[in-house]
Amino acid sequence: MNRAGAIAGRIAQIVPTFFLIGLVVFVLARLLPGDAVSAMLGDRATDETVQRITHQLGLDRSILSQLVAFLAQAAQGRFGESLAFRVPVASLIVERLPVTLMLTGMATLIALCLALPLAFVAAMTANRWPDILIRTVFQVGLSSPVFFVGLVLLTIFAAGLHLFPVGGYGEGFGEHLYHLFLPALTLALSFSAVIMRTLRGSILAVLRAEFVDFARAKGLSSRVILLRHVLRSAAITTVTLVGLHIGSLLGGAVITESVFAVPGVGRLMVDSIFSRDYPVIQALTLILAVLVSLTFLATDLLHGWLDPRTGV
Amino acid sequence: MISTIPLTRRATLGGVMGLLALQAGLSQAQAATTGGKLVFGRYADSLFLDPVLTDANVDIWVMTNIYDTLLLPTANGQGTQPGLATAYEITDGGKTVTLTLREGVKFSDGTPLSADDVVWSLDRARDPKAGPWNSLLASVDHVDAAGNTVVLRLKNPDATIIPVLATFNTAILPKKAFEAMPGDTMDDKAKAFGEKPIGTGPFVLVEWKRGSSMKLRRNPQYWRKADNGQALPLLDELEFQIIPDDSTRLLKLKAGELDGVEFVPFARVKELQADPNLRMELWPSTRVAYLTMNVRPTLNGAPNPLANLKVRQALNYAMNKDAVIGVTTLGLGKPMRSFMSSATPLFAPSPLYPYDLAKAKALLAEAGMAGGFDLTCLTLSGNQDNLTNLTLAQQMWSAIGVRLKIEQLDNPTLTAHYRAGTFQLRTAAWTDDIADPSEITSYFAYFPNIASLHSGWQDARADELYLASQREIDPAKRAAQYTEIQSIYNAAAPIVYLYETPYPVAFRAKVKGFVQIPLGNNIFEMASVEK
Repeated sequence: MNRAGAIAGRIAQIVPTFFLIGLVVFVLARLLPGDAVSAMLGDRATDETVQRITHQLGLDRSILSQLVAFLAQAAQGRFGESLAFRVPVASLIVERLPVTLMLTGMATLIALCLALPLAFVAAMTANRWPDILIRTVFQVGLSSPVFFVGLVLLTIFAAGLHLFPVGGYGEGFGEHLYHLFLPALTLALSFSAVIMRTLRGSILAVLRAEFVDFARAKGLSSRVILLRHVLRSAAITTVTLVGLHIGSLLGGAVITESVFAVPGVGRLMVDSIFSRDYPVIQALTLILAVLVSLTFLATDLLHGWLDPRTGV
Repeated sequence: MISTIPLTRRATLGGVMGLLALQAGLSQAQAATTGGKLVFGRYADSLFLDPVLTDANVDIWVMTNIYDTLLLPTANGQGTQPGLATAYEITDGGKTVTLTLREGVKFSDGTPLSADDVVWSLDRARDPKAGPWNSLLASVDHVDAAGNTVVLRLKNPDATIIPVLATFNTAILPKKAFEAMPGDTMDDKAKAFGEKPIGTGPFVLVEWKRGSSMKLRRNPQYWRKADNGQALPLLDELEFQIIPDDSTRLLKLKAGELDGVEFVPFARVKELQADPNLRMELWPSTRVAYLTMNVRPTLNGAPNPLANLKVRQALNYAMNKDAVIGVTTLGLGKPMRSFMSSATPLFAPSPLYPYDLAKAKALLAEAGMAGGFDLTCLTLSGNQDNLTNLTLAQQMWSAIGVRLKIEQLDNPTLTAHYRAGTFQLRTAAWTDDIADPSEITSYFAYFPNIASLHSGWQDARADELYLASQREIDPAKRAAQYTEIQSIYNAAAPIVYLYETPYPVAFRAKVKGFVQIPLGNNIFEMASVEK
């Protein structure tokens, strides 16, 4: 099969995945105890009011007929209206998705900038003091809860030293970058620890591999070995890790966005679940699924390019 | 309303601060700076700015900055003062209310306020199909307009009609502008209108990023003037930023990125009071925190000890309210003395179940429960105050052999159990929306509304008194009815009484003139930021 065909095949596989995810989310959201109307109207609405609004919103129809309506709409890219905010779901997501994408993008970049050089240093000085120091520091980053790290960074760098704003998102691209730096750093700290440790391991493995001994024996310089073998292997590891962790980065964004008052989709998702805002939950889950799938696809493609043995 | 939102950690300094501040508010304007911008940090965003269709505090408490009502609540939350109407008269044995509209009032889009707008707005608010609040105007038979007067003809005398005309859901909206909104149905038009509301209030909404920020600008058409003749509002711009995390909200205030914040956690109040750059304000409120009991004889198929009056009284006697206030509110609350707050009109206090362990034990023994029993209390996960209260209850009640299990749930799940009456005990809080005791009483003590907070408690005499009080226009007789309702309810103890708390709001020291009335309304028209 040629390359384009392989890619098309992968994309074709993704479509039924989305359908399944849509189905599962639709059913799961409705299996949660409590309902959107009670959540929306609060504790004191009378039964008549709850019934009237439930009917108005079509939530008294059978799950099957609601599901069919949802799938028909979703197939056309329409997600209906938020029950809590009473505005189109699309407009809510269009406002917030770029914020979260920028946050996770920045977090990934920061994590790579921190992890890559230090992983090399750690691997080259394995089990000597620079390695131990680096691993210890990252261990702290990895084991500290995100909301705690966030608050510490806020207290020191924003409230204390006034180097950064205390949360928010600002206006204009420059301000967005400035406002998102601390939240991105918060997310990046635990992520970079994962990358650093894995990468250090894989570099060490490569350095000890027989083909490297062979290369050395052939008389290749350390520099060439590093560039040709070690870097390639490191790149593969990194790409895989980043690809795999996009999902958990998006998950981590939920807490980070709350602590830093960043108006992204993470907070929207949590709020929607707490208010049983089914249309928003469904649309967001689908969109995040699309993003994660596309990232996996991109990861596979990069993988194939870096290491032709893997296929795609 | 009943707060069901997590993170509502509020406190009360009993005191008269609020009253003094608002009365001083208008004259304070003599020295007030005009212009400028105030940035206020809120814990949650508004959802829907339609006065008729919403029921959430996050909407109610800020809508008064955009819309006006015919009458306005007074600063102490107990009475009314002129609003869009300058005067009213009640005639025909209480069955006719004639209001005189203020001259020269304009909506923010420049169109003049007319009697037609008033009739239309009230008709919409009382439409039984139009939202959770229509019953407030249930006594209205029809509304007429003649020139500058609006006449409400009532089916029967209604003791609450005046405070209702000062309640957010009777806000006056421009009929033409509303009807010109896109959409086929009134609901669609309401959604469109709620995005770009037009009112006669001090501010106009100019930008709204959901869950992030809301920008309001001064309404140049606003009718109200300060005592010194200064035009209100004083600010040019008012911005709300949504910062759900308590710690972040306070950090932003301290860093000077916010000029004020709502819902300061009690634990942080002392710290902010000590900061010379800040001013901690504790506004008297109508908020009461309590535990709702289910008094039905059986629950999920098993006998329910809470059906026994003596058991409910014992739980109340064994609850040391002062200790709870000390721990949860750090002394900022005060014990409940009735089911309604001390800031509610016609409040009739009694020494409500003073802490008495011996009496509690004796009552349990009389109820045949000397060996104690198991209880389960549902609570909102993530609400630290409620959890602290329950942890204290667990300890206090263990002294009389009651074993309390705490179950934390998210809001919709909790509400579902509540509505279905499948809870045994739950944490709860209430804030009045109306300057009248009828609202809280209709939910707590009048069974036909929502089964007395879904507790299943019913008292024929209380129901009868409530209905009679709704039509009683003699203030003395009505006060006597409310005294009796409170004594019946408090003796029956369908709730575990805890405490009242104030609204804790903090500002940069340079901000002056903000007012939060006991009903919760955030009033920014007299607020200013000194240069």
